[in-house]
Amino acid sequence: MQLAPEQVARALVNETFHSRRLVVGIFVVVNAAMVAAGLVWPKSYTASTSILVDERTIIQPLMQGAAVATDALDRSRNAREVIFGRKIMDIVLEYGGWLKASPSVEERELIIEEIKKRTIISTVGKNILRIEYRDVEPERAFRVTEKFAELYMQESIAAKAAESKAAFDFIEKQTQDYQDKLTRTEEELKELRSATLDVSASKEGDVITRVNDLRKRVEATQQELREAEVVEASLERQASGEAETTTENLREGQYRTRIAELESKLDTLRLSYHDTHPDIIQVKQQIQALTDSINSERTRREQTKRSGRRDESVVANPVYQQLRREQSQNQSQIEALTARLADLQRQLQDEISRGKRMHSGDARLAELTRDYQTNRDIYQDLLRRRENARVSMNMDREHQGLTFKIQEPATLPLAPTGFRFLHFVLGGILLGVLIPLGLLLARLQFDPRIRMGSEIAAAYNLPIVTVVPHLWSPTELKSLRRELALLTLIMVATIAASAALSALRLIKVL
Amino acid sequence: MSKIEKALSRAREAERDTQVVPVAGASVAPTPGTAMVANRVTSPETIPHMAENEVRLLGPSDLAQLGIIQPRHSEDPAVQVFRELRTKIIEQSQGRNAVILVTAVSTGCGASFVAQNLAAAFAFDVGKTALLIDCNLSNPSVHRLLAKAGAPGLTEYFEKPDLEIKEIIQPVGIARYRAITTGKRYEVPEEHFSSGKMRRLMETVRQRYSERFIIMDGPPMSKIADIRTLSEQADYVLVVAHYARSTNAQITKCLNAISDKKLLGIIFNEEPRIPRIR
Repeated sequence: MQLAPEQVARALVNETFHSRRLVVGIFVVVNAAMVAAGLVWPKSYTASTSILVDERTIIQPLMQGAAVATDALDRSRNAREVIFGRKIMDIVLEYGGWLKASPSVEERELIIEEIKKRTIISTVGKNILRIEYRDVEPERAFRVTEKFAELYMQESIAAKAAESKAAFDFIEKQTQDYQDKLTRTEEELKELRSATLDVSASKEGDVITRVNDLRKRVEATQQELREAEVVEASLERQASGEAETTTENLREGQYRTRIAELESKLDTLRLSYHDTHPDIIQVKQQIQALTDSINSERTRREQTKRSGRRDESVVANPVYQQLRREQSQNQSQIEALTARLADLQRQLQDEISRGKRMHSGDARLAELTRDYQTNRDIYQDLLRRRENARVSMNMDREHQGLTFKIQEPATLPLAPTGFRFLHFVLGGILLGVLIPLGLLLARLQFDPRIRMGSEIAAAYNLPIVTVVPHLWSPTELKSLRRELALLTLIMVATIAASAALSALRLIKVL
Repeated sequence: MSKIEKALSRAREAERDTQVVPVAGASVAPTPGTAMVANRVTSPETIPHMAENEVRLLGPSDLAQLGIIQPRHSEDPAVQVFRELRTKIIEQSQGRNAVILVTAVSTGCGASFVAQNLAAAFAFDVGKTALLIDCNLSNPSVHRLLAKAGAPGLTEYFEKPDLEIKEIIQPVGIARYRAITTGKRYEVPEEHFSSGKMRRLMETVRQRYSERFIIMDGPPMSKIADIRTLSEQADYVLVVAHYARSTNAQITKCLNAISDKKLLGIIFNEEPRIPRIR
């Protein structure tokens, strides 16, 4: 149910009166707890120092494009890294007297973590770095803050010098590397040029013209060769068709003609006579004689051929002779053409390979030239940078690059910072009132037990809804008076005790 | 001492101890020696009859000690509340007398306190009388109003057949205020509440005096059977809830158990009040 603020306030007043002992009890407990906390709460003193970081702007134009100026955020982060580094923290541990108790490694880590928590490093504006350190001892707060500033400046200058030295060394090494590369490329270029001297003079167009010319000549020679071969085949065919000699064929032919005539006559005679007839016998004998003559003629011819003697009866065939002559001429022509073709083809191959060699040489040359140019540019740039780095290094060596100035030195803190005893006392009184009220309000909101008559009146529609207040009897009133006086006394005593403790604290008795 | 002197001294005593509130119609405020006369005038038939049985009336300190409201503390909010409650009940009953059962949501809600003070509020009015019947057999409280200990009450009435009703009605030391206690506390079965004797008792006390309002101080709602039986005898039921003790769920449960016709209202008791401390 939503309640009006005045209803809630009224209910809260009733409830506070109803639970007065609890309220006063909480008030006393809260006050006591806060005072106790105030007593044990360590006092803390804060010392701070500001460092003006002046970065000469000579470096920036020198390192143009090669380095980026650090901004304020980076500066405080860097400072934190440097100050919280193991090196400085170890020195501070020694200096602040934390090592007197010879702590273990774990304890040292804890002490370092504590110191880190109590140290605030921030940047004010662009160039001022502020270091704040809080400690329970004012003297140590002051000394540690001072030491932090001193160590930070030393460390930063050393780091800066080391950084520029490292940068110089690196650039120096790079310059050397590029110089070597450049030399190597020059060597390679030289070698390539001398290796491709023969092709370097000729132009690509000449090579193409020559190759084309040679190709034409090869084709022409091949054509001629094919023609000669056709002629050769034709002559061969003709020569095989012609007899080498003419005579012997003549005589044998005569014999065969005679034999044919006689066999014809024999066939005619056989029509009229038996084989025993004398004419037939005679004719048979003549045929036999002629057959023998053919055989003897053949034998003789073979013998003559074998002995190599010239047979007077043999006569050379003139057509055949003619063909043989032409064939011979043709063959010699074929041989000449074949030789020429081979020669032309070799020349063509030479010319093609030369063309190829010329191309690959060109590509390699372009690559080497490109490498050479790139390396030369980088090398020249590096030379410039090396000189810049040398200047930076010398500047840092002479503390010209980064200078520190203590803008505001650390001072011995006189008054403690943070929560003081009085804060706890006042807080105790305030919380002592607010906490019970808050708890009662929470009870009012969340406890299902009814505490407001108006709530019932709204919830139930009945003819009579009456709220009966407590009826105080005289005895009750008397004891209530006593109780209220006692509760008031307790509250006043609590506040008085807190005030007394504050006073004692103020005059440094406690 | 002559009879006249005795009568005068009794009249003076009565004036001192009887809480009389001015009522409409009583134009003349009672003066010493005329209180009895005034009473007679206001209620000619009944009041004198009752007055005969009055015991010595309780003083303001006794009443305060017993936690009973007094008409002289008319500015006390509690007194005002009970008077207002009385007026509302009279309005509801339209002038007729009524039987009102007062019950608590749970034990310790102060139903007896409400019942006793409601009866006292009726008794404020010289034209009305109040009879308080203690029906809370397990936790009776009305007996402490009586000066005389061990007087017979409901239990004796139920157990002894020959006991007259008038014998159990006891004066409590407040004018126009009578009470019936539970009697001696031995176990009495609650079934007596539904017996014919109980019905006869209620009829008798209701009908005997038309201006008598009967208030039954009932057991808490946890004894739901008794409440149902007793509410049959009553005209109205008042439910008492206690500050920071009763929940809405409990109240709703109680209200659902009581017939809507008889349910008169809720009394939210013991709301803290910061008194004026002089």
